[in-house]
Formats: sequence, C-alpha cells, structure tokens
Amino acid sequence: MVMQKEEAMDKSRDPAVQQMIARAEAQNVTTVWDRYAAMTPQCGFGDTGLCCRHCLQGPCRIDPFGEGPREGICGASADVMVARGLDRAIAAGTAAHSGHARHLAHTLKKMAMGKAEAYAVKEPGKLEAVAARLGIPTEGRQEREIALDVADAALADFHEKDTPVLWAATVVNPERAKVLADLNLVPKGIDHEVSEIMHRTLYGVDADPVNLLLAGLRCGVADLAGCWMGTDLADILFGIPRPTVSSANLGTLRADAVNIALHGHNPVLSEILVGAVGAKEEAARAAGATGINLVGICCTGNEVMMRHGIPACTHSVSQEMAIMTGAVDAMVVDYQCIMPSVVNVAECTGTRIITTMDIAKITGATHVDFSEEAAAAKAHEIIDQAIDQFRRRRNTPVEIPAVKTPVVAGFSVEAIVAALSGIDAEQPLKPLVDSIKSGAIRGVCLFAGCNNVKVPQDRNFVRMARRLLRENVLVVATGCGAGALMRHGFMDPANVEALCGDGLKAVLTAVGLANDLGGPLPPVLHMGSCVDNSRAVALTVAVAQYLGVDTHQLPIVASAAEAVSEKAVSIGVYAVAAGLPTHVGVMLPVLGSRLVTRVLTDKVKDLTGGYFIVDLDPDSAADKLLAAIDERRRGLGLG
Amino acid sequence: MNQPKEIFVRIDRCMGCHSCEVACAVAHSAGQSLYAALSETPTPKPRLYVEWVAPDTAVPIVCRHCEDAPCMHACIAGAISRTPGGVVMTDKDKCIGCWTCVMVCPYGVIGRHLEEHKAYRCDRCPDREVPACVDACPVKSLVYQTATAFSRGKRRTASHELQSGQKG
Amino acid sequence: MESRRYVIVGGSAAGMAAAVAIRDHDPHGSVRVLSDEADAPYFRPLIPFVVSRKKSVADMFLRGRGPYRAQGIELSLGVRAERIDSPARRLVTDHGETIPYDRLLIATGSRPNIPAGISGLEHQGVFALRTLEDARQAARRAEETTRAVMLGGGLLNLKAAFALLERGIEVTLVVYSAEVLSQLMEPADALLIRRALDQAGLRILTGCSAGHILGGDRGVSGVVLDDGRELPCQMVCIGKGVRPNTEWLDAGAIKVDRGVVVDKHTHASIPDVYAAGDVAVTYDPITGAPIITGLWTNAVEMGRCAGANMAGYPSVYGGTFGVLNATQVARMPFVSMGIVHTAGTEYETWCRGSADAYRKLVFTPDGDRLVGALFVGDITNAGLYRLVIRERMQVGGMKRQLVDHRLHYGHLLCARDRG
Repeated sequence: MVMQKEEAMDKSRDPAVQQMIARAEAQNVTTVWDRYAAMTPQCGFGDTGLCCRHCLQGPCRIDPFGEGPREGICGASADVMVARGLDRAIAAGTAAHSGHARHLAHTLKKMAMGKAEAYAVKEPGKLEAVAARLGIPTEGRQEREIALDVADAALADFHEKDTPVLWAATVVNPERAKVLADLNLVPKGIDHEVSEIMHRTLYGVDADPVNLLLAGLRCGVADLAGCWMGTDLADILFGIPRPTVSSANLGTLRADAVNIALHGHNPVLSEILVGAVGAKEEAARAAGATGINLVGICCTGNEVMMRHGIPACTHSVSQEMAIMTGAVDAMVVDYQCIMPSVVNVAECTGTRIITTMDIAKITGATHVDFSEEAAAAKAHEIIDQAIDQFRRRRNTPVEIPAVKTPVVAGFSVEAIVAALSGIDAEQPLKPLVDSIKSGAIRGVCLFAGCNNVKVPQDRNFVRMARRLLRENVLVVATGCGAGALMRHGFMDPANVEALCGDGLKAVLTAVGLANDLGGPLPPVLHMGSCVDNSRAVALTVAVAQYLGVDTHQLPIVASAAEAVSEKAVSIGVYAVAAGLPTHVGVMLPVLGSRLVTRVLTDKVKDLTGGYFIVDLDPDSAADKLLAAIDERRRGLGLG
Repeated sequence: MNQPKEIFVRIDRCMGCHSCEVACAVAHSAGQSLYAALSETPTPKPRLYVEWVAPDTAVPIVCRHCEDAPCMHACIAGAISRTPGGVVMTDKDKCIGCWTCVMVCPYGVIGRHLEEHKAYRCDRCPDREVPACVDACPVKSLVYQTATAFSRGKRRTASHELQSGQKG
Repeated sequence: MESRRYVIVGGSAAGMAAAVAIRDHDPHGSVRVLSDEADAPYFRPLIPFVVSRKKSVADMFLRGRGPYRAQGIELSLGVRAERIDSPARRLVTDHGETIPYDRLLIATGSRPNIPAGISGLEHQGVFALRTLEDARQAARRAEETTRAVMLGGGLLNLKAAFALLERGIEVTLVVYSAEVLSQLMEPADALLIRRALDQAGLRILTGCSAGHILGGDRGVSGVVLDDGRELPCQMVCIGKGVRPNTEWLDAGAIKVDRGVVVDKHTHASIPDVYAAGDVAVTYDPITGAPIITGLWTNAVEMGRCAGANMAGYPSVYGGTFGVLNATQVARMPFVSMGIVHTAGTEYETWCRGSADAYRKLVFTPDGDRLVGALFVGDITNAGLYRLVIRERMQVGGMKRQLVDHRLHYGHLLCARDRG
C-alpha cells in the first residue's frame, strides 16, 4: 500500500490524478505512464539530438561516446545534426501557434465579410488598438471594415512581403526591435521562416551550426508573432479576459450532468459551444441530467476559463484521467496536445471523443466537421452527441475524485493594468515598478508549458513556484503550467498568506483591496493559454518601456518546468530572443553537441541577453532563476 | 546451485539501433545518467558491440563469459577472474594494459581504454537486476535468461514455426 | 581407487596452471609443486613493475588471483629437482628427499640466455631480469643508477627499460639487429614503435653489440661496444632471450632436443611424465615446426592441457605460434602473431600504415589462409585474427574484412551459418 502511494507520487502530485491512476490500474486501462514505462530506457541518440532522418541515406546517428560514427553519412557533425533537429522543432512549434492564429484570422475575416454569423467583434477597443498599432486607419470606419483590414494584415504576415512580420516588428519596445533587427532576427513572414527552416535543414544545405541556430532564433521570433496574433485576434473576437472566479480539477465534473470536456487550443470552437449550451439545457434535462456541465482541458480550458470562468477539469499529461472518471460524456477536441490514446481510454468508458478539425482526426473518434460558417449548427450537433452519451451512461457508476480548488483567473495585461490603476490611475505600472524597485517584489517569473510524463506531474511547477513566491517573486502562469498551479491552490487568494513572502503579500493585498476584491489577488496570476505567453512578453515590454530600459535588463525570468511540445521549444526560443533567462526542466535534445549546448545556455546571452537554463532539478533551477533575477536587479542598480 | 542467467542474443531481431551500447556506456559511467555521462572523463565506454554484416545483418556481440575463458587464463597480471555467479570479471586495479586478453578473445569483446590504459569488459551489470543492454533493447533482441530457459524458448519457437508452416 | 600423487617440478606459469587444472579434474589426488625459488609463485611478467616500484611484491603473487584459486596444492619452495628415477617413479631433490609420484610434470621453465663473448659480467649491477629476486636487486641498484645500458632490443628488455625510465634513469638500448623487436616484426614494421620509443626518451643504438662491461668496487661503470664506443653507466641489463632448464634431466633416459620433447598430449618420452611451458618442445600449428617459446600465455595453456591429461582427461595441445605477443610500449599498443617475417618469402603480404596505426597481414602464397598478423596502434579484434590463423580457416569472402582490419565476430558467425 505504501509502495503504491509512492508509485502514484512518482507519476503525479495531483491527488485526483493519483486516484484515477489507481482506477485505471484496477481496470487494466493503459495510460501514458504505462506507455512511458514500456518505452524506457529511451533511445539515447534521439535523447541527445544525435539522430538524423532528414534524407534517405539515413537514418544516421552519431555516437556520443566517440567509439562509433562521429559524423553523419553526408558529413554532418554532431553540432550540425543537433542544430538542425532543434531548428525543426522550433519550426514545428511556430507552425502550430501561427496555425492557431491563422485560424482566428480566417474567422475574423469571414466574420467581417458576413460569412460567419456566430462571430462578432466582442472587444471593439482591442480591435482599434491593434489596428492602430498596425497603422490601419480607424477614424470614421465601420468596425467590419477595420476587422477585415486587420484580418488581411494578419494573413499577410504569413508570407514574405515588403514589410517584415508586423506582429513581431511592432509589438516590442524600440530597443528590443533594434536588437532583433541588428541580429537579423526579424522574421520576413511567419510561414516564410518555417519554410526556410525546412529548406536549410534539408540534406546538403546549411551546415554551420551557429548559422542554423540564428535561423532558429528568427523562427522563434516568428513564433512570438504567431502567438501575439493569436492572442490579439481571440481578444477581438471573444473579449479581453478579466478577473473571474472559477475552480479546477476532476471534482468539477458532475455525475448527474452532461459533462462536456473542451480539449485542445483554439477558442474558435469552444466559444461557440459555450454560447450554445443555454439552448441545450432543456434537452439535457429531458435526458435526465441536471444540466450541461462544460469543463476545460489544456489550453482550451484556459481560454474558456479566462473569458467565462468555466472550470478546468485537468491538464496535459492527465487528460486520459478525465475520461477515467467515467463521467465525461463527450471530449470535444480541436488540435494540439491531444493524445491519440484518449480514444482507447474512451473505449472503456463510452466517452465520445469528438474531433472537429480537418487537420486533426483520430481513428476511432467521432468526427464532426466544424466550420465557422456553420458554427452554431455544429455546436448543437456536438452537444446532442454528448446528451446521447449521457443517456447511455446514466445508470453506470462513475468515480469523480472529490478534489476541487478555487481559482481566480483572467489576468490579461489589460486586466493587470486595470487592477493596478486602482492604485495609480495616471501611471498604472508605477505601483508594480515601484514594488520591484523597492524589493517588495524581487522579480517576475513566468511559468509556462506542459506536464511531461518524465516528471512527476506538477512537481517542478509546485516546488519552484513555492520557492519563488516565498522569495517575493511575482509569479504569472500560462498554459498547462497555469493548469498545474491552479490545481494545487496557487490561484486561490486564500493561499497568499501561506505561500507568499511578505513583500509580495503586501502588493497582492494592496491591489486586491484597491479593486474592492475584499482580499488579495491570487498568489499566481493566470495569463491564459500557451499562445498567451505573448501576454507575458507584452507585460515585459510594457515594464521595460515604463522604465526606459530594454527587456533583457529586467528581473523577469521564465520557466517551462515540465515541457513536452515543440511549441514549448519555440516559446522558449522567443523568450530567449526577448532577453529572458529561460529555464527548461526537462532535457532538450541538444546535449549531443557541446557547441549547441554552450550557445543556448551561454553564448546567446551576448546576442539577445536571454539564455536557456536547463536544469532537471526544481530546487537548483529555482536557485538559478533567483540568481538571474538578482543579477539583473544589480544591473539596474537595485539592491 | 541455481543456474545463473546469461545474456543471449536473438540476432534475427536486432535492428542495429545501438541503444544497447549507449545504455551500457551509461550504466558504466560515474554519473549513471546519459546527460551526466556525456561530459565525463574518461569517456564511458560500451562493453558490447553492434556490428554489421553486409548486406543486412546487425549482430550484437556480447561477452559470453566463456566456460573456458581464454582471457582469464592468458592474463599475465591475475586481473581476470570468475565470480561465483559465473561472470568473468576484469579487475581494473590489477590490469596493466598488456592487451593479452584482447589477443586471445575469439569474440572481440574486450575493450581498451586508452586514456586509462586498462582493459574493460562486460560485467553483466552486477548492481542491476537486468543488465542495462538487455533493458535498453527495444526489440528484445537481447534477453537475460538461464541457458535452460533460453533453449526451451527457442525450441518452442521452432515448433510453433513448424506448425504454422513458416519454416522451410 | 587410491588417490593419485601428482608432482610438479616448477612453480611458475605451466606448473601452477597444471596444478589448478588437476585440482579441477581430480579433487582427491595430492598435488605437490616444487619450486627452486624462495618466493611463492608469482606473475613473472609483472617483475618490471617491481623495478619501476609501481607494484609491490605483495601484489604479484599468483595464489588467490585470477584463475589460481584452487585449494589443496602443496608448495615446496627453495627445492630443486635433481633427477627422475623413472623405473621407481620417484623424484629426487637437492635436499635428498625422494618423492614418489603417479604423474610427474616437468615445468622447470627457462633461464636467461647470456651470450658468450661479453666480459665483465661479474660486476655488481649486471642483471638478466628473470626472477622476482632479480627484480628486487635491480630495483635497489636503480637507486644508485643515473644511467643504464640494456643489451638486447626484445620485449622484456623494452619493458625493463621503461621501468628504469620511469625511475628517472637515462636508458640506452643496445640492439644488435637493425631495429628493436626483431623477433616480433621486421624493421619496416617497427617504424611507429621506434618513433614512439624515441619520443619517450629512450636512446637506441642499433646494429651494434657490447663487447666488454667495465666496472670496479662500486660495480658497473660502463659498457664498451664492439665499435669501440664507451657508454658510461651504473647498471646493465641483458635481455637476449631464454633457454630451457633441461640440464638436470638425463638426456639418455628422456628425449631432449633443446627442450623436453612431448607428444600432442604433452606426454614426454618416459611413462607418466609430462612436460609443459618454456622447458617443453611444442610445435607451430601454422608450419608444424617444433618450437620452444618463452611465453607466459603459452606456458599456462600447455600447463592446463598437461594437468588435464595427468588427471585422466585426455586433452590435445594445439601448439602455439612462434610469435604471439601483445603489449604496449610508449603508449603504442601492438599485437604480433604467427608468421610476420616475410622478407624473401613467397607469402602474400598486405601492409597498411597511417600516422598512428600500422598493420601487416600475411597470407599463404595462394592467398587462401591467414598465417600472420601484426597490429600496431590499433589492435581491435586481434583475438579473432588469432583464431582465423590457428584454425587455418579458408578466408574466402572474409578476406576484404581481414585486410581492411574490419573483421568482427559477426563475420565468423555468418560465415559459419552460411557454410
């Protein structure tokens, strides 16, 4: 029994997930942890980036211990092989974030052209602000006209044109823009950069590891553009997030309701489902349910929590565990981070896995061909499927862990600024910057990224956040990093007292009281989904501009403590391009090249001011982030 | 006495991925992890070798800890001996790097650490339940069994193949 | 059945390997080993480490190390065998003891060959390193030595030379042949090794020999070469090969032809008497020619074979190559085995050299069989080449791999499966 407990701890630090792991084991359901065990030990060549399959002469692998081959068949060195592999990961991440943004741009355009009735401009102020930034006239123009121009500008940013990528060139402070321009890191087009990476990493093209890495950095900046565009357009269409109360973990499922889990990333689908639920409540009750219960998983969960306070059910590596409860009637997915295995787990519980996107089908799932033009009808079709499944499972037992934590989310940059205006309406950033100057806030850390099966779920996030909060570091979070922290109570204002150092506690409380919240802000501020890492960069840029310094001088750091996706790699790269010391808590496949490792963790500092900290130990990683914060404080002449 | 387990090779399964070699080197490193092993000096070395025979056969070559152990008898320094479990071990401290064992091993499984001037060889991972190479093999080309269990398995496979008419 | 009495004359490689083999096969018989040395059996090849002081004497003893772990072997040290009373099956020692035997092994080994014609051998500081006691004395002498001269360019002398170099002594090697290691390779093959030796600080004079050793009260003071050059030194080591210890044997009663002649079961010409090691005549499996070697490895192999035969387990000794050496000098590993001297012969020879490695592969004139291999710098898989030579394999499709030094066990395995 004790052993079992320890084993469960090795898999996840989330008690609800632990309970479901035991259930899966009892029911002989294979989970991600079983597949990981079957996969270990993993191939060392891949692990170190020394495996190349870029041509048909391969596969090649270089022996990291020097007994076997020291170069690929084409003559590519370990440095070249590793740099190429990393570049392709960055390109994949960039393609994904910008694919998400492009989907939103098309939606905006269809809306503007009157082809997508279900959508509207929900945040005219943001539309105007974005248009102004892009140099699109707004005076005396109709909202739809502006929206069309913004959508066209967004789509134009994908390809090479006369201007560089505007969502990169216009979003950062002038000092950072100059750094990027001087290093030739301003992307020409988002797709162009992805495509160029594919070209230069082709058989017999770029064989200069440093040149390859610079291209990777540029592609990372294109990823920032994709993310920023995604955030902008989603805010325009669906509203800027504002503080909202919600809850998290598997306890948000309800045995007696039609439970629909929204999983994936893009609010284009989930927003419509949220809107359609009301009309379907009656049908649900007719089927014997108390109602329809929408819950989120991964970044779709973050999107709908941020804008609607919809609870988050679970995140990332434990997505199968939501199904394991037996209570999820439909899991509706779009794209990214959806493990194909959900279909296998769903086979045991009857859960409908509903895929909705043409680029992301899963064998064994039900496919509903979603389109923006027919969004409402498709949403109804999806909810009907869920109700149908509820009818089938009504009398079968479910096991919902009684684990649910309160969450206050919704901290977009606009929301943070608004909250700070409660203290200083003239100069909203002043109280924050003053707190940083005084040392009440030692620095800022962004937690981002996923849960990786190689790390006991949430361990790194929880250990590091605990340490940093105690050291008065203001912690913001996105993506499944935010998911991890919310499930462990880090977004519950009631925990400020227990978690935060005195300086931070005072600031969070002051801001909370100034906004009539009756208490402090939560210990960790939820900034959104993974594309919303742009919000963290936006905050950094705003602080830099207020202070009149560049971003790399600020005591702001980032951590993808349990990263999985190639998207986390590209985010890490743009964080480094933005000048942030960026921790990664799992190994990047680069150790096979000392050169690449050195460039990423050290030399790149001379270029952008940012650099990677790769440390698998959360405690020493926290030490390093604190040291990086202090180094920068000293640089700014702060004690 | 219990029959000791040995490392057996099912050559027909080997895909030539060399994972066993990497796992072996890591298992014989100071840091005991791939990431730590990469920066160690002297460089950790694998103790088995995946070789290739044209046109399409990959052959993992592992020390058999021969009953006769020519290396052990040839050693001019008394550095090689057999454990009660049947494992032929090279004592690094006693090895003088004369390479006589290399000269007499008919399998070519004794490695030479030139930086340390010492011979090294498979020790069947005494601290592990299953040797690292066997553990690492993604296609179970390497197996860790007693000789009896291994030959029993082989017979079973053969009879199965005969029944299903796969052979001949 | 009454338990057998095994008596072994000689407590080095062949004798001790035989004793252990006997114990493996016959747990009940009595095994007694006589040695004329005062020291318990030790790994003789390690004695240069005593000179260099890199190993202590305690680290060198045989028993309890490697395969030498058998119990119940009686050792008599400082005892010399005087003669065999074959009809009575008794061995007579210099202590006057007569030892009855059921099986007797002659494993008296060899002693240094001291060439005639060198004068001044009596001076203190002149050594022919053979025994542990020699090594102890040489180690002591080294304390008062700044320069040493080694006579002979063979492997033993090279190892001794490095032991002295490590003690900070200036060492000159005087070699009669055109190049060092002439027994193991031809001059052209030795280039890499020679360069490594030169770089290691060894002074080598080839094509000359010592005529006279100078000395006085404080022992050796120099060596005069045959060309008249004088080399001041405080120590001289003679390494000119070994000769079998057969003098105590009655050549009329037991067949001796330089060494003790034995059949393929290591049996000598008188009943129940066997011989193994440096003292025995064996044969070269490549040429079939009788040879005597001074190799530890061969002595062990032959001793084990003799032990099995003596214990009643018939075992055939497969002979040994005249050349069969592996070692490393001056950071340069090398292996030489089989027929490697090819000048003026019909053998098919493949040589390949690079900056840090050299190899020579020798095939029969028809090119079908490998008969010799020399690897310098890279000795990978040398054991497989030895197997190919010894088993007289038809090289067939493996020839490319052999010549390119890419042979591995997979090739032999697949050749066997296909064959």
